[in-house]
Amino acid sequence: MLSNRHRLIVKTAVLTLLGAGATAGAVGLAVLYGGWYNIGATAQHFPYIYSVLEEGMKQSVRNHAEDVKVPRLGDAAQLRLGAQVYRDNCLQCHGGPGVAQSSIGMSMQPIPGPLVDATQRWDPNELYWVTKHGIKMSGMPAWEYHLREDELWAVVAFVTVMPAMDARTFRATIAREETAK
Amino acid sequence: MNVLKMLALASLLLTLTACAPKGPPGGVLGDPARGKVALTQYACQSCHLIPYVPGSKVYVGRPLSEMARREVLAGAVPNDQAGLMRWIMDPQSIDPNTAMPNMGVSERDARDMSAYLLTH
Repeated sequence: MLSNRHRLIVKTAVLTLLGAGATAGAVGLAVLYGGWYNIGATAQHFPYIYSVLEEGMKQSVRNHAEDVKVPRLGDAAQLRLGAQVYRDNCLQCHGGPGVAQSSIGMSMQPIPGPLVDATQRWDPNELYWVTKHGIKMSGMPAWEYHLREDELWAVVAFVTVMPAMDARTFRATIAREETAK
Repeated sequence: MNVLKMLALASLLLTLTACAPKGPPGGVLGDPARGKVALTQYACQSCHLIPYVPGSKVYVGRPLSEMARREVLAGAVPNDQAGLMRWIMDPQSIDPNTAMPNMGVSERDARDMSAYLLTH
């Protein structure tokens, strides 16, 4: 049996926790329904919120892409196909060396990254996973239902060679694919 | 007035000057606050680290901190506001082989962006 003193301690602790929980809930509801949060794309995240979300995204991709088996990449036909897929689907948001993305890609928030540094950030299995499944709440579409499997790998292969291209080579590459079509 | 009061007043003054918003240095035209938003609407932060603009750690383009201290742009053009605006609006006119794309920035937006960069 608890002594009176212990009973008082337990009662105070429970009531304090309940009070704190109710207050936190009320504040949360007020923020949610008050509409104070600026959802506009011209209002940037606080820096630490951006960093935390980005870190979570990175770790999630690492984890989910772990079991992806990477086929042999980089033969000439595959790179040609990859350049074509990149030009038709990726360029509009990500741009390329010396080539700007469309105004839609420029003003998305979060901003689609330039893929010229993609190989420093991601391994091929991760690039494939991101391309196939997309990134929730970022605007990155899941291409699984819009590209064939060989097209997915072709664009991954192309993204791994794109960082070595200067502006002129990149322009020539996507132009050549245009005329070859 | 005793010494303590004078010290308190001096530290208050110092604090106030530190908090005062930085106006553009002499001769810089445009609206730095509008320029900061404009920088994010032309995807500048996707390749450049920009002071006080949240984003990934990217080094595709050079970091844009302390732009006011730089003397030349792309090794070719004096880094005054006119030169910076020209680089922002048409980088290929300065360096035909640069990997920085022409982002189609309007003159007003380029003026405001340069005002922000030259004051941060």
